[in-house]
Amino acid sequence: MAERSAVIGIGQTKYARRRGDLSIDGLVREAALRALEDAQLTFKDIDAIVIGKAPDALEGVMMPELSLADALGAVGKPIHRVHTAGSVGASTAISAATMVESGIFDTVLTVGYEKQSDGNATWALGGGRSGSQGAGGSFAPWIRKYIEKSAAPEHIGWKVAVKDRQNALKNPYAHLHLKDISIEKVKESPVLWDPLHFLESCPSSDGAAAMVLTNEKGVARAPQPPAWVVAHAKRTEFTQFPGRDTVKPAAGVECAKALYKKAGITNPIRQIDCAEIYVPFSWYEPMWLEGHLITEEGSGWKLTESGATEIGGDFPVNMSGGVLSSNPIGASGMIRCLEAANQVRGTAGDYQVDGARVALGHAYGGAANYFAMWIVSSEKEPKFS
Amino acid sequence: MSELPPITYTLEYPYTRTTGPVVGAFLTALRDGRILGSRCGDRVICPPLEFDPDTAEPVAQDLVEVGPGGTVKSWTWIAEPTRKHPFQQPFAFALIVLDGADTALSHAVKARGIDAMSTGMRVRAQWREERASAVTDVYFVPEADAVDTYVPPGEGEVELTEHLISLDFKEAIHPFRERFARGLIAGKFIGQKSPVSGKVYIPSKGYDPLARVAMTEADDVELPPVGIVAGYTVITPVQYYGQKETEPYIRASILLDGADQPLGQQDIKNIPHDEFRSGMRLRAVFRPESERKIVEMDNRWGSTGGVIDHWEPTGEPDAPPEKYLEHLF
Repeated sequence: MAERSAVIGIGQTKYARRRGDLSIDGLVREAALRALEDAQLTFKDIDAIVIGKAPDALEGVMMPELSLADALGAVGKPIHRVHTAGSVGASTAISAATMVESGIFDTVLTVGYEKQSDGNATWALGGGRSGSQGAGGSFAPWIRKYIEKSAAPEHIGWKVAVKDRQNALKNPYAHLHLKDISIEKVKESPVLWDPLHFLESCPSSDGAAAMVLTNEKGVARAPQPPAWVVAHAKRTEFTQFPGRDTVKPAAGVECAKALYKKAGITNPIRQIDCAEIYVPFSWYEPMWLEGHLITEEGSGWKLTESGATEIGGDFPVNMSGGVLSSNPIGASGMIRCLEAANQVRGTAGDYQVDGARVALGHAYGGAANYFAMWIVSSEKEPKFS
Repeated sequence: MSELPPITYTLEYPYTRTTGPVVGAFLTALRDGRILGSRCGDRVICPPLEFDPDTAEPVAQDLVEVGPGGTVKSWTWIAEPTRKHPFQQPFAFALIVLDGADTALSHAVKARGIDAMSTGMRVRAQWREERASAVTDVYFVPEADAVDTYVPPGEGEVELTEHLISLDFKEAIHPFRERFARGLIAGKFIGQKSPVSGKVYIPSKGYDPLARVAMTEADDVELPPVGIVAGYTVITPVQYYGQKETEPYIRASILLDGADQPLGQQDIKNIPHDEFRSGMRLRAVFRPESERKIVEMDNRWGSTGGVIDHWEPTGEPDAPPEKYLEHLF
């Protein structure tokens, strides 16, 4: 790559069931202005804008990248929109990083958003028909398959649901602040998509997230510490083919391998300090720990059970509360990338992991057939031993 | 053999939109009989925008009244309106610069005929008797046809609007889908066997995704109506617009004997949820031939609900996981 890119500005809206005070324009604007403020820049300093969101059917607004140009100061500048289903927020962040690395753009603004309250995701994901299985119904059989294959005890899912909601209590932007969350409450909540309980599932949120990425010259002028984008990778596979491993998709394995290789990581669990992983349903924490080669196959749930994925543990996961606590779909992947950057910049507030130097931001989408991940670091070229 | 008729489908949803401060004020005033624009520098923009397209700064919060008269800058005639058009008789869409505004509003003009329309003509806003805080609360007429009426103000500020979006689709069914559909009507499962990988797909997409080769009618194979539950979930239905399900229901992937791809999203019906399990052997029970119809099928979705009445246990021992787990996708 010609240039190394870095995150120098981060902005988030408060996530909520409905942001009744803001139009979609106002929502993306709020996140974008906060990211610019963090970088002490204005729209004038931005060379290109890249935005991401999930399918247009979620809000029924076609080609929003055109109508949002005004709100994002994009008039007279390049703007484009990325779409890779649930992974889109991370794919969008990676697109912005790539634009800076290309050497063509110095400073790029990237924004992900969703205004779920405008429509209904289950309706949209079911093609507008009755009897939609929704995201939960699609993933539930694969989660059952994971449980059967790994012989994981059923409380693992409940434990992740509680941990992420407790982490969210430390994050003022999080949608869910469930002060009295407990294993008992998760276990007793209704089963929505057997074996998944209501409290093991992500909420439906409105919100936007934004980042400013720039090159080495831009970093030199930045007022706050940067998060260097050390490596990124995207992979895709077909949604259906005989022999497809739906629990540990090959595209996810290959994506992780490419990512670690590029970063120089040989032992992810030891060399990565913390991770923001796309976990919309509780069981995906152990599933992706295995699916992205952080643990051996069959032992992801043991890491979760040991408490290692809590803040203060050996491998903290979703310190911000994760997708289980805030899910503006098109932004959710970007939030993972942005929270990884927050950790290595030391700007994660009450959910900061002490001394975090290297962090993973991750998202998946579709029928678990899109993957997008990045590694960020406080060091431009971190060495691993 | 007569061709199956094209698939028709209406995709419809009542979206609710948060207006934000500027569009909310515009729609509130429109409901109450006034049209507002936003000041951007020395221009007045109507319809108003939240952000100045030149500077990206927020527009001034105090909007200014424009119209109700205006000048047509350009227009087009809609000779055959569809059900979603603002009028069910021929009318014009026009770009109208309202008096006091610097930019054009795209809106409908109810004119007596195409000859009554011309660029540069004067038009005037008319308010509908039934208003919904939407841009369609008004329409335009040639100035000579205008009748000014009293518009009683509504209550409260508009912050949320509802839009029933509705799209009518019509598409020809692909030949390989048509043979699958015809098979179902005849009480048969027709799949395709790849001449390269030997894998059997049902319903087929017309190609083998592993070998990436097209398949033809010569590759069609009939599969028995018996298979294994490869995976399932019990869904508690989310209540959304158009949802007909009210009680928890099973959706299962069933791997027919001889197939490499399961039939997805099968509705099981008569088996108690606590007796249902992966590996179970089931047989499809078709509806009586006269009642079979292809519903909710297109080139992407393949519902068998109009053809298969339910699935029943065969009573055979369960299949071991190695028989089906790698086919759960």
